[in-house]
Amino acid sequence: MILETSNLSKSYGPIKAADNISLSVEKGAAFGLLGPNGSGKTTTLGIVMSVLRPDSGSFRWFDREPEPALYKRIGSLIEVPNFFNYLSLRRNLEVIARIRETDMGEIDRVLDHTGLLKRASSRFDTLSLGMKQRLALASALLGNPEVLVLDEPANGLDPEGIAEVRKIIIEQKALGKTIIMASHILDEVEKVCSHVTILKKGNTLASGKVDELLVSDQVIVVDSGDNEALKKGLMEKGLVKSAEIKGGMIELVAASGVSTSIINRFAGEKGININQLFIRKSTLEEQFLELVK
Amino acid sequence: MKRLLALEWSKISSYGFFRVILILTLSLFLLTVFVFSRVDISVPGFTWRNLFRFPDVWKSFAWVASWFNLLLGILVITVAGNEYSGRTLRQQVMTGLSREEWLAGKGMLIIALAIFGVAMVSLSGLIFGFIYTGDLSTGMIFKNTGILLVYFLQATGYMVLGLLFISLFRSNALSIIMYLLYFIMIEPILRGLCPAEARSWFPVKIISHLTPLPEFVQVTSGDAMSANQLTLEGMGIMPRQLDSTTTIIAALVYIMLFASITYLLVKRKDL
Repeated sequence: MILETSNLSKSYGPIKAADNISLSVEKGAAFGLLGPNGSGKTTTLGIVMSVLRPDSGSFRWFDREPEPALYKRIGSLIEVPNFFNYLSLRRNLEVIARIRETDMGEIDRVLDHTGLLKRASSRFDTLSLGMKQRLALASALLGNPEVLVLDEPANGLDPEGIAEVRKIIIEQKALGKTIIMASHILDEVEKVCSHVTILKKGNTLASGKVDELLVSDQVIVVDSGDNEALKKGLMEKGLVKSAEIKGGMIELVAASGVSTSIINRFAGEKGININQLFIRKSTLEEQFLELVK
Repeated sequence: MKRLLALEWSKISSYGFFRVILILTLSLFLLTVFVFSRVDISVPGFTWRNLFRFPDVWKSFAWVASWFNLLLGILVITVAGNEYSGRTLRQQVMTGLSREEWLAGKGMLIIALAIFGVAMVSLSGLIFGFIYTGDLSTGMIFKNTGILLVYFLQATGYMVLGLLFISLFRSNALSIIMYLLYFIMIEPILRGLCPAEARSWFPVKIISHLTPLPEFVQVTSGDAMSANQLTLEGMGIMPRQLDSTTTIIAALVYIMLFASITYLLVKRKDL
């Protein structure tokens, strides 16, 4: 296990920023922490990165009690890029390299990888937000750490930047790195992660594999002569996973292997007229909003 | 240790403010002693330039240098404070630096700055001493150089207190204001509220008394009247003070106390 937390809680006055959060992240997994702003993602990551003290609960990295030196094996980017304003990009990475005890030659490599090599001698405070974010990613990659902890890695980036950052993360994942990523953008989590935990107001709403939890089911919408009877029949026959009547039509999720033509035929056998039958793809966003409602 | 020194160096070597403060300290100190050396007080029987002769030059210069300790304290507040406000301390901890290591790095910075101060006093003391001393026996040159170590301790004390303030308030502006207020108002008021025998025991009192005002009456009179009644205390110009050994021990205790509180603050608080 790369990371295991058990019942992490932290309050700021009356606000429970994290409430009993238990996670486990396996080696090589791409783990997403999904939730709207203020759901406790950053607090949770802050705790496991040892910069915030939990009120209760514990966590382990690499099956060991956390100790400072262990974080040399973890590349991190939490919230906003934090660098020395008055130092150049190269100097800033020098600070990180000295802490991590990595080869100084690595610095130019990660700057190049994130497209910042040309700006290596610029002061950090002359960078645009997008470039700062890239530098943070470069710093997380410095020393080739085996785990990446990323909090909103695409924050502040333009579409091209988002695509580049995503490419880098997916590359790292392919290299066998473990990725722990917090995001409020579902699409980001879906494209990168294999496992996800959904948080809301400090609580865990759901946890599991992305393709099971955030599956984009096809919803079949049917309008027939007798909706009640058709719905009942379909459910009894086991042709649908779920069905409900909404706005005078049946909205159903078909059981696996059941197509619209099977439903059509079934209605015909029952002698029920089909007026309309169409497929609507429910978006992940809808499901996410449904979950955090 | 080498790693932490190199880390601190990476952070400050191209930091303009750091250089400015060091240059300011050095040039203001040199200007001050230069101006003092030109003062012409002609009172029969008293020679002003004795203050610049070996071995008295050490005490005079250590005393002048102590005025600039506040600048060094503010420098430490700023350097450490940047790492709180820019949240780079947080990032460094997430990168694998322990909070103890961070603090040790700041300790090394403080020691390096105190060494800078000692070097400043030593070199200028040697130069002025050679210029103003007629009798250049080695015994005279190195007599009283112990005050350099005491000045080192004092500068360290000012800076450790600065580190304590920034670890407590975490904002450069607030820490600098509180730091200066503590020196010029808060502690003096507290001292005033206390009974006379307790007044000498306050931290700033102790630390600033490490390099006391030179016994200028005695020194400028050329020790002609080797009498205790010519001490500033004896003449009632200065209040009664603790003796130097007690002051040094008390200062050491305070410095260790400040360092321990700073350690607890850095160790316990969220970043």
